[in-house]
Amino acid sequence: MIDVILQAFASIVLDPVTLGLMFIGTLAGILAGAIPGFTIAMGVILTLPFTFGMTAVQGLATMLGVFVGGFSGGLMSCMLTGIPGTPSSVATTFDGFPLVRSGRPGLALGLGLWSSFFGGMISAVILVALAPQLAFLGLEFGPWDYFSLIIFALTITVSLSGGNITKGLIAGLLGLFAATVGEDEINGVARFTFGFDEFKQGFAFLPVLIGLFAFSQLLTDVEDDKRAKSPLMSQSGAIVKVEHRQAILIILKRWVNLFRSSFIGIFTGILPAAGGSISNILAYDQAKKASPNRSNFGKGEYDGVIAPEAANNATAGGALIMMMALGIPGDIVTAVMLGALMIHNIIPGPTFIQDEPLLAYGVFIAFFVAHFFMVGLQAFSLRIFLLVTKIPMYVLASVILAYCAIGVFALHNVVFDIWVMFFFGVIGYFMKKLGFPLAPMILGVVLGKLAELNLARATGISDDMILFISRPWSLFFLLMAIISVIFPFYQDAKKDSLFSKLYVPISMIVLSLPLFLMGSPVRMIVAIILVLTGGYFLYKRISSLNPI
Amino acid sequence: MNIKKDTIVAISLLLFCGIMINSSFDIEDPGYQGMKASFWPTIVLCLLSIMCLVMLIKSVVTEAENNLNSNDTNLTNVFFKFKNASICFLMFVLFLAFLDYLGMLIGGVLFVFGLLTMLGGFELKKIINHFIISIITIGIMWSIFTFGLKVILPEGEILRIW
Repeated sequence: MIDVILQAFASIVLDPVTLGLMFIGTLAGILAGAIPGFTIAMGVILTLPFTFGMTAVQGLATMLGVFVGGFSGGLMSCMLTGIPGTPSSVATTFDGFPLVRSGRPGLALGLGLWSSFFGGMISAVILVALAPQLAFLGLEFGPWDYFSLIIFALTITVSLSGGNITKGLIAGLLGLFAATVGEDEINGVARFTFGFDEFKQGFAFLPVLIGLFAFSQLLTDVEDDKRAKSPLMSQSGAIVKVEHRQAILIILKRWVNLFRSSFIGIFTGILPAAGGSISNILAYDQAKKASPNRSNFGKGEYDGVIAPEAANNATAGGALIMMMALGIPGDIVTAVMLGALMIHNIIPGPTFIQDEPLLAYGVFIAFFVAHFFMVGLQAFSLRIFLLVTKIPMYVLASVILAYCAIGVFALHNVVFDIWVMFFFGVIGYFMKKLGFPLAPMILGVVLGKLAELNLARATGISDDMILFISRPWSLFFLLMAIISVIFPFYQDAKKDSLFSKLYVPISMIVLSLPLFLMGSPVRMIVAIILVLTGGYFLYKRISSLNPI
Repeated sequence: MNIKKDTIVAISLLLFCGIMINSSFDIEDPGYQGMKASFWPTIVLCLLSIMCLVMLIKSVVTEAENNLNSNDTNLTNVFFKFKNASICFLMFVLFLAFLDYLGMLIGGVLFVFGLLTMLGGFELKKIINHFIISIITIGIMWSIFTFGLKVILPEGEILRIW
């Protein structure tokens, strides 16, 4: 174990090429995160074609640099200009920008930077500790359980991606359908090819992903003629000296907020599709509720900067846990990383950490190291950021569109992939215009083949469909899927309605059933706790409905 | 005219599902044991059809909040609303259509230059800037992929003849 960790450490830290790639990746991530209209996911997607020629460790380490850098890049623009660079830094603007306005820009940046660092470190420790355990748990899964887990991943993506749940489900199903085009992996039979030989290979998921996400985003960015021609930011801020020492002392004094926010981030990251955009607001809200200085929030309160920044970086570790342990991407970024691994013929799953320990621990170490790069590069990237913000969006979009075409071609050296990217780019653009969320479709494309494969394995072993509800893990995930589909209705329901009051306790009691069926002592204890807590809430809420 | 966007989208998607379900009947059955190749796509398409039907019913029943007004159906307004996106689509299709002939290097430079000029404007100073930007950026990308990553990008008939 120790020798594997040391080897993985050497493959990252003692390899100047990998370190150099991580340096560039983190810098690119900080810039991608800082520019409004660009997201971290887009930064990682655009990095992908460069990783084709690298080893798997180098490719993932570079992407992790972009991922981690992106979170801290967002804080730079939101603090200096009041415009969040990414959705994951929206809550940082609430107190970060007022703190800068009050004449403490160096401290504000320091607080954001070091909160991101500590949040990332906490999540890295949890990642190292939890991912192997979760993978161990994943070894219990049969194809029935995996199929149900994928269904749960899709439904929770739909319910958390916001907006209309019907449209979300349609988007997810369209993604699953897109994954069926071409020869099926079980029988080798061509499906929906309409006589075109190119369709037989199916749609490679990376051109689909780049088209749906990056291409459609670029089209949206240049849609408004006036905005497309003006510089990325009208107010681009000024160079400031970061107050590192004072910021660290303030954060360490508020360690409860730091840990609470980091755990919120990790938990949110583990949930499919619930990324930094949700965790930073959740953590801010909890920090505000717990703070004795609640009235200071929104006016430059330190806790209001620490909470969202610690949470959004911790989200990255959470998302990686699911990908590393179960092979289920937690968000678009980890879906791209999954694609990068597949290019190197590595399929993440419960046996991934055992089968590829060097690579798995290399990812853990790269995640640690990326946070040190992030701190080191902040001051330097601030200067580049001020230069980049002077470029108009139409220039960036035009160049990146061409780059997408070159990058997608490099994947398999076929022009058809560029057509696929274009086709899905157009679809993605119009879906966005018509109010369809894109995340469920992307997850559908990524997980479609895996879902079909596991369904085929399950039905191949036994014709008995009851196994999908009689196997505890499968039942657990299916119940979670139903609960997640109902979740948006719970959010919209009136606070004092019967449905709103019963949703949480009944969900807890229902979820205890598969845990009881699992039989192991620890799971039985968790099930009993769930029943007792759910029962208590149910009693309290029913009593409040019928006051005697 | 009082048509809801969602109604049109739902009907279009239902049509799409109909065509695909019909096409799923043509999927060959090699007679192997286990799950047939058409089983999973049929499930997905049936669920998709049900959801599209729900969307259609919802769009008909609910209050009109997303209606197509005269501005949405006026072709001139539609063109101006999607002008830049349409330019991107058109330029990209042209780039792909001529890729075999022009290759990635020349085609890429022309694509970026054309798109920059169409989106940014036709003033002389801007045109010169766009030309320089397109040559530098595509040149760098082409060099990185060709020499750094050893990717054989489409050469194009023009360069091949030379």
